[in-house]
Amino acid sequence: MFLPTLLVLIFSPFGVLTSKPDKFTEELFIKPLYSDQLYVHFHFATKWDTNPEQETFRHTHIFPRALGEIVERYNVQELHVSLTGGLWRYETWGYPILDAAPGAEVWAWFKDTTEDVDQNWKLLASSLSGLLCASLNFIDKANSIRPEYTFKPKGVFSGSNLNSSFVRYSSLPREIVCTENLTPWKKLLPCESKSGLASLLNSGYIHNTRYHSVAIHMRPVCRDSSCEFVSLELQQTVSLVYDYLILGTKNWSFRKLFGQGLMGRCPLAETSTIYIDTTSNTSVPFQLTPSPDDYVTSIRGGHVNTFAKYVVRPYAMSLNANFLGKESVLLNAPPSLHANQYITGYGQERGGIVTKIYNNHWSHLDVVVLQNIPWYVPIYLHTLKIEVNGLEAEPLKIRYIPGRQRERPYHLELLLKLPARSVTSVSVDFDYVFLKWQEYPPDANHGFYIGSAIISANLPLARNFTGLPQDGSTIADSFNASRSGYLVQVRTENMVITLPTPDFSMPYNVICLACTVVALAFGPLHNITTKRLVLTVKDNEKLIVKIKNKIVKVLTDRRGGEEKQSVQ
Amino acid sequence: MGLFTPIFVAFCASLAHSQLDFEFPKNGHTNNWAVLVDTSRFWFNYRHVANVLSIYRSVKRLGIPDSQIILMIADDMACNPRNPRPATVFNNANQHINVYGDDVEVDYRGYEVTVENFVRLLTGRLPPGTPRSKQLLTDEGSNVLIYLTGHGGDGFLKFQDSEEITSQEMADALEQMWQKQRYHEIFFMIDTCQAASMYERFYSPNILAVGSSLVGEDSLSHHVDSSIGVYIIDRYTFFALEFLENVDQHTKKTMGEFLNVCPKRVCISTVGVRRDLFARNPHQVPITDFFGSVRPVEVISNVTLVPLVTNETKTKPVAQPTKKYRYIPPLVNFNSIV
Repeated sequence: MFLPTLLVLIFSPFGVLTSKPDKFTEELFIKPLYSDQLYVHFHFATKWDTNPEQETFRHTHIFPRALGEIVERYNVQELHVSLTGGLWRYETWGYPILDAAPGAEVWAWFKDTTEDVDQNWKLLASSLSGLLCASLNFIDKANSIRPEYTFKPKGVFSGSNLNSSFVRYSSLPREIVCTENLTPWKKLLPCESKSGLASLLNSGYIHNTRYHSVAIHMRPVCRDSSCEFVSLELQQTVSLVYDYLILGTKNWSFRKLFGQGLMGRCPLAETSTIYIDTTSNTSVPFQLTPSPDDYVTSIRGGHVNTFAKYVVRPYAMSLNANFLGKESVLLNAPPSLHANQYITGYGQERGGIVTKIYNNHWSHLDVVVLQNIPWYVPIYLHTLKIEVNGLEAEPLKIRYIPGRQRERPYHLELLLKLPARSVTSVSVDFDYVFLKWQEYPPDANHGFYIGSAIISANLPLARNFTGLPQDGSTIADSFNASRSGYLVQVRTENMVITLPTPDFSMPYNVICLACTVVALAFGPLHNITTKRLVLTVKDNEKLIVKIKNKIVKVLTDRRGGEEKQSVQ
Repeated sequence: MGLFTPIFVAFCASLAHSQLDFEFPKNGHTNNWAVLVDTSRFWFNYRHVANVLSIYRSVKRLGIPDSQIILMIADDMACNPRNPRPATVFNNANQHINVYGDDVEVDYRGYEVTVENFVRLLTGRLPPGTPRSKQLLTDEGSNVLIYLTGHGGDGFLKFQDSEEITSQEMADALEQMWQKQRYHEIFFMIDTCQAASMYERFYSPNILAVGSSLVGEDSLSHHVDSSIGVYIIDRYTFFALEFLENVDQHTKKTMGEFLNVCPKRVCISTVGVRRDLFARNPHQVPITDFFGSVRPVEVISNVTLVPLVTNETKTKPVAQPTKKYRYIPPLVNFNSIV
């Protein structure tokens, strides 16, 4: 534990000795959402001043070594994993701090020295499955794509031009998220769940929410503004959306949300802060007890937000919010960009996938649409139809890599220009296919999942936006962080299709039926073909005569036999 | 000098001797592992998940660390949308014990619970890249607890309603383990219908086996929880958990007592035991030989702690930046495309 200070002593460019090479911050962000929900986001960030290109992860201080070893072994430059239960409702909730698709989602950039990216990707996913107790080992070449436009590195990059052959993306939409994923995730934190904000993460409470997402994001970042040196950043987050209906009341408190109060900060954390978005306080007023240490006003992208700030001290605290009676009905203007996805068609022969993208902004938006469609849903590019407000339109660019059965999914990436205040629908047709008998899962009748489409855009306004800037690693970095654009990556719903599923008792039925038919047909046929019809004289002898004849016959036969023997 | 040498040698010898004693305790095993398998999918099989988690809870409480427990659960009951109490699995309707707990680690889940994975796990023939938490890293000093629950019949156990392992395959897998020196002793426990048929074919030594019912008998569930609408736990495991809840790490209870946890009047089925392969008398085997964990601890006195030398003055030369780092714009520049 003390070794990194020994080994990694690096002077900053100004010649000041940095004694601690790594820094851990914990933050809790709470925002009341418009539609009777409460957004709670735990954000743990570790920044380690080490060169990720040379780091061996033999000695780590705060950075989890278990993750470091995997990253080093498989030559990973950047890693993003999320496990999510529920769907983020962009239309009513606005934008989350980190977007995540329902189920499991993994994407990673590998270093440009990697020889066999596919192999490393498979082994990386397999190792992550052990690290996070999730079935990520089902990720392989057959369900992974190399996005060209959607997943640029979030961290710093040193080469001259990007090569998308080093990025891999995959999602497992069916993956469930429960305590067994949270437990190992908590063990990667320096204080685990023993103290600090992570001690609030009690599984019984956090899984009783509308949306819960556990994520790990690792990337190299600039050490300072000059960006001559690189640091390694790890963000571990848990996002929750509580429903006031499930809570039973609008007045929330730590005890109601997490079952307990906060027992102080993590001693290893540099800062431990709680931010509560009080912007909505003007319309739906609530009172916080105890009163906050400070108020922070953030002007970002033309929008003003106020946050109540609590600095967590090394002793117990709780937090209550009481809504004051007078409530005005809020009209939430939907966010600039949101999307839906659904299946069309009927029957078990042909179907279609439709992605509807809504641009509510007053000017046009440039978006990238990414579809990762499994190989067992063969789509036809010639049926691709893009309609803007009912009129057919052309995409700026199409990147399409057709799938191959059992080897590669269908990868469709579209660059679109959405006109102001428009609804764009992207539709493509597919065929339902039969799988091989052994390829059906044990619950084949449940249906097969198609993952979310991802719609990426740089929004010009930060309305409803809570995300972090690219150069920021904490929530505090997002205050007053006005930039030229605000990246959102909207995830749509997963879809479930029912592939034609055979009756698995069919072989048994076939055997039974076939055997019956054979028995019925074969018996008479065999009789007819092998037996000779012989005419016999109908005898009317009496029983005594019959017996007498038989005895005579036996006697004469025996005599004949003896004769034969003697002949031999 | 010549006078000191014999003393030194004698000291070394005694040290080596104590070392040997320490490495080979009297009961012969040096570590404990548990393989706990629930083979049933679907909500109406809630009780099987509660079964396997009951045993998981007990072995974890009695000291086997998560790194030495392989837990296979074929379906998610705790976070199932039908569960009115998310992230919990209870052992009875009064919600006495949340067997799921707050720090559960499931190693194989959902579609990963297959006969192939189970046999590969036991025999150690796993594909490359399998993480440590999914491997059974036992050796010739390992006492292994194998617990299976699910739907079975005469000579087979169903996995996920789609495939089955036969008793012969099970026996062969254990024999392979024995030949590869992957265990010292095995306690094989199975809670399914006709459970005894699963261990009838065993032919490898040092296996003590118990099944919740004899061939021709059904194993029965304990009671219904009306709030979840299905049976909550099976009889045999319910009473096994009741017994294990009263066991702690310093217990004097024996395996012999454990084999009698569920007499026929409460279990309704007859609990079958096979002890001919097991060399020891179960009444003299502490229950912690299988449900607990050996943690060899050596108490050393007279140790002087050497302070960690922190060489503060030693510094590396300032690394010269050789590369130019920059953030890439997250989205492609549309103007360059048009």
